[in-house]
Amino acid sequence: MAGGRLQTYDPAGDNVRRFLELLAGRLTRPLTVSLTACVHCGLCAESCHYFLARPDDPTMTPVWKADQIRKVFKRHIDWTGRILPWWVKAGSVHDDEDLNRLKNIVFGSCSACRRCTYNCPMGVDTGLLVRFTRGLLTELGVVPEGVFNVSRDQWETGNQMAVSEQDYLETLEWMRDEVRAELGDDKVDIPIDRPDCDILYTINPREIKFDPRPIAQAAKIFHVAGESWTLPRWGWDQTNFGLFSGDDRLGAWVARNVYEAAERLRAKRIVISECGHGYRSTRWEGYTWAGFDQRVPTESVVVTLKRHLDQGRISVDPSRNAEGVTFHDSCNIARSGDLVEEPRDVLRRVCSDFREMTPNRRENYCCTGGGGLLSMAEYRPLRLEVAKIKAEQLRATGAKYVCTMCHNCIDGLNDVIKHYKLPMKVVQVLELVSKALVLPEKGGRG
Amino acid sequence: MSDMLRLIENEVQLAALAFLGLVYIVRLIWIFRFASRKERTFAAGSQGAGIRRSLANIAMPWAMESTRKDPWLYAQFVVFHLGVAAAIAATFIIPYAPHVFEIRAVVLLFQAVIGAAFLAGVLRLVRRLVNPVLRLISSADDYVSLVLMILFFAAGFLAVPNDIDRAEWPLIAFFGLTAFFLVYVPFSKISHYLYYPFTRFYLGRTLGHRGAIPQGTRPMSPGKDNERTSRPKGDPR
Repeated sequence: MAGGRLQTYDPAGDNVRRFLELLAGRLTRPLTVSLTACVHCGLCAESCHYFLARPDDPTMTPVWKADQIRKVFKRHIDWTGRILPWWVKAGSVHDDEDLNRLKNIVFGSCSACRRCTYNCPMGVDTGLLVRFTRGLLTELGVVPEGVFNVSRDQWETGNQMAVSEQDYLETLEWMRDEVRAELGDDKVDIPIDRPDCDILYTINPREIKFDPRPIAQAAKIFHVAGESWTLPRWGWDQTNFGLFSGDDRLGAWVARNVYEAAERLRAKRIVISECGHGYRSTRWEGYTWAGFDQRVPTESVVVTLKRHLDQGRISVDPSRNAEGVTFHDSCNIARSGDLVEEPRDVLRRVCSDFREMTPNRRENYCCTGGGGLLSMAEYRPLRLEVAKIKAEQLRATGAKYVCTMCHNCIDGLNDVIKHYKLPMKVVQVLELVSKALVLPEKGGRG
Repeated sequence: MSDMLRLIENEVQLAALAFLGLVYIVRLIWIFRFASRKERTFAAGSQGAGIRRSLANIAMPWAMESTRKDPWLYAQFVVFHLGVAAAIAATFIIPYAPHVFEIRAVVLLFQAVIGAAFLAGVLRLVRRLVNPVLRLISSADDYVSLVLMILFFAAGFLAVPNDIDRAEWPLIAFFGLTAFFLVYVPFSKISHYLYYPFTRFYLGRTLGHRGAIPQGTRPMSPGKDNERTSRPKGDPR
């Protein structure tokens, strides 16, 4: 459908010239001031899990990584660097090998978690700079193979895992039947393309392809809560690889699919299943990428669950989740979004032993799979090496379960748990709420 | 007072200051040439509160893990910048309000602040030379700017007594350095104070709009999150 818009690497092309043209053409004011303001104080270093895990390697610091694009900016755009490059350590990219080296830095040694941004006294947004640089390289096709493949799938099929419409519909039917069997109620439905609903529910393709249980859990809870909801036949993928690749055009197209589905079906609200980057992309960045003014409220399903609890539309029994549960804040939701206390409020109501990890909330460490790193197999050894910071943080909680409201974090944390042999399991908020859900007696609501 | 000192305290300073102002105007025009994206989403927080919180970050060492964990480094930052403020103030007080430095206590206060800043500058230089991370990322400008500041503090420390009968050279050195600074600063990292309001503004605006900052102040209720709190331009409803 839109595959032609994905750039492939052209070894015979003048990629350096194109890179420099893109750099000059895509700078915005927030980017420009972040490129000029760094004073090289080095305070960002110890906020980064890459550097904490490799304290003897200065190239793991956010400032060094950001300097790799900053020096090109200084050499070609800024004042002093154009005249006296050696004075400010300005430098250029000279060939495709330099571009490839830059690729390995911005894709391979940074999960764009923005922890350094929060710890920069100057307010330099290194996460923004990394995404910007990724976008320039993506435009040239200088990207990790996994990023290319997923982006292609999303361009071509409208979802990042190339799920066919038949698979999508059949999986939803299957989950509907599962919930019907569990509740013994044939009225349970997972509606598709139903107009004028209160909720347009959008999901992560992983829920179709690998683990559809969250769909069933949502359907069960929505049914008990008496929610008016639907999934769209098209525009159901709330994930967005444009966030990871830095490709605003892909980001715009995918996000617009969701927004237009809501308009087409006259939904009153867009609800995003548990996904960190999907939430950030659909709730926040997508409207900007798409040039689309927000018209309906857009929220995480965790907020929907909280509303159900607040309004007494569902009842829960926390004793059904009696073992220790800790919560992992997704970077894209906590640091680049707004939800920090809402998931905790829900978890405290559905678990009897909720405990915080340290640090937490906006100071939490990345699951190490963020920034699309899970799709980049070539960087897996480094990712797992630096994950020791996360492993130590998880181990210290002594919890049996680590809960997260992000699909990327599920896979990232599962890798950490497996690699460092932690006695933990990863769960999501929907799963815990579903387990704690007290079903109304027959004849009651639903 | 010699003609040279009079010249360097007055006309040279004013010319250098005018140059600085002119370059900064051009610089600001350059910055504003870059576009800033329009916010199109419903707010979950407050842009204004985010901007205020972000700008105030400099005075909130507890707000960042990086400064919370290393209060000694933050103390150096405070002392260093107080010294900058005192030394700059001295460049105006000496030629335009010399009576202020006739008060012994004021001189001692300025010398204490500037002297402490000198020591903080030396510590910062040592850190930059010793720390492998800082060594790797530092440019000539980083080193020279810091060394110049240390020299500026030393000259300021000696100049604030403003005792031209004893010796003029501390004042000539101080004002000579000041004039050089005013010309050099717009092209060096020392100009970071010009960018601070911008970086902080844009970060605060984005994160404030999303309710990410100020932390812990956004009401935790679906109502707040789900209702329109600001209407995007062009929305007819």
